[in-house]
Amino acid sequence: MTVTDVPIATPSPVLAASRRRGRGFAPVLPALALVVVVFVIPVLALLLRSVLEPEPGLQNYAAFFASTTYLKVLGNTFLVAGTVTIATVLLGFPVAWFLAIAPSFWSRLLFAIVILSMWTNLLARTYAWMVLLQRTGIINRTLMDLGLISEPLPLINNLAGVTIGMTYIMLPFMILPLHATIRSIDPAIFQAAALCGASRWQAFTRVMLPLTASGIAAGALMVFVMSLGYFITPALLGGTSNMMLAELIAQLVQSLLDWGLAGAAALVLLVITLAIYMVQLRFFGFGQARS
Amino acid sequence: MLLDFARLGPWRVALIAIALLVGAYLLLPILLIVALSFGSSQWLQFPPPGWTLRWYEDLFEDPEWIASFLTSFQIAVVVTVLSVLIGLMASFGLTRGTFRGRQALRALFLTPMILPVVVLAVALYAFFLRLHLNGTFLGFVLAHLVIALPFSIIAISNALERFDRDIETAAIVCGASPLEAKIRVTLPGIRLGLVSAAIFSFLASWDEVVIAIFMASPDLQTLPVRIFGTLRQDLSPVIAAVSTLLIALTAALMALAAFFRKDARS
Repeated sequence: MTVTDVPIATPSPVLAASRRRGRGFAPVLPALALVVVVFVIPVLALLLRSVLEPEPGLQNYAAFFASTTYLKVLGNTFLVAGTVTIATVLLGFPVAWFLAIAPSFWSRLLFAIVILSMWTNLLARTYAWMVLLQRTGIINRTLMDLGLISEPLPLINNLAGVTIGMTYIMLPFMILPLHATIRSIDPAIFQAAALCGASRWQAFTRVMLPLTASGIAAGALMVFVMSLGYFITPALLGGTSNMMLAELIAQLVQSLLDWGLAGAAALVLLVITLAIYMVQLRFFGFGQARS
Repeated sequence: MLLDFARLGPWRVALIAIALLVGAYLLLPILLIVALSFGSSQWLQFPPPGWTLRWYEDLFEDPEWIASFLTSFQIAVVVTVLSVLIGLMASFGLTRGTFRGRQALRALFLTPMILPVVVLAVALYAFFLRLHLNGTFLGFVLAHLVIALPFSIIAISNALERFDRDIETAAIVCGASPLEAKIRVTLPGIRLGLVSAAIFSFLASWDEVVIAIFMASPDLQTLPVRIFGTLRQDLSPVIAAVSTLLIALTAALMALAAFFRKDARS
């Protein structure tokens, strides 16, 4: 690591010159080398294969968008990601609100549960849902014991199972940013609304929702984009007849060895993902995307 | 009115109800795994007909589970050390460097975190196939390092930005060499960032499964790969035992992180 400049003296011409030239690049080199070699080159190489294999041209993209099977996979992916996003907003907003204002013992307890759930191993959580949702699982048996259903509901190996499991996994990513947004609202605004004669409903729709809209949108975009590319939970809770895009990519490589088509599917996923992040960056800045 | 819990009126009931419901939704599956890991039913009956430590015995007597556990641990430790070192250097460059394109470079470093991991997994699989790195320790470390590095860079950059650089300058004025000042003044000053970088890097590698599925060979499997492979076949209670140990580890690391945060405040 080279030693960077030490700004103890008043700006000297020498220092100003070095500022213009730019310093402190050397320490980034190991990280840059790693990211270029183990990330940029392999991903570009994969995407290139989509236009080079089996022969140069766009036939892989033509095949992808002409196939009803692949279009159905794309539709499934958007359907699940959309449903999960709506479910996490509807469940996450009240929870974030509760966390922001409830007595400290209760909000701390719930907060700890949210964090614990978020950091618990993904496979462990997916396993729990496999146990809960299976044909003879706890949910089906309880419902049958209560006499609510006579036949077990098909809750696993289909999109319903994927949606339930993914909503569970994505909820913390909605709750945490929304919690920060709601906490940043000045309570005096609602006193003002009350003084002006607003009912609770009016205060909610005309003050609270507009003030939290950017937080909701940021959280929703993040959950949506993460859901689009999810692999593990769909692979374990979903069925073979109703795949999502990430599973399709894995299968094209593992079973069909069709690298050209896999590259095309990967590019489709990347373009959608990056487009959504661009929207996020454009409207909300990078800080909120990370919070 | 809406931010005052006592004055929410009828809305308070709805809010409490949903909070309870979601709290249960988030917590019960985790408690269920723990209960099933001690339950005596092979078929995962709940509530369990009896209690047993059999699944833990099965787990610890199986050399393959132990081997994958050790593999995961070794990879995660090496990744953690490298991720913190490389991340520390990169963070110095990104926060204090004056070269052009720092923002673009930072965005590039963080990209592996936001990109669908399956794309990277497939791409690395193809790339490492040519380099004969699939199924090797080095391959795992390199792949997980790319995933872990963004966490290091975020944690350490944030700490460096908050650190008052005048303190380091003061040490140099008092006769320390710039390197000595960095090691003895700046590093202790950003230790909180370093600890969270280490914890997040460790978890990023330890929990990583998608890339590992592609990279694993029959001889070299990480713990998540083994769990995934077993889950594809059956829902053995042994998985509940592994999961419970993983939950305990997560809780311990969370407690550690919380402890360091408190330490930093006091």
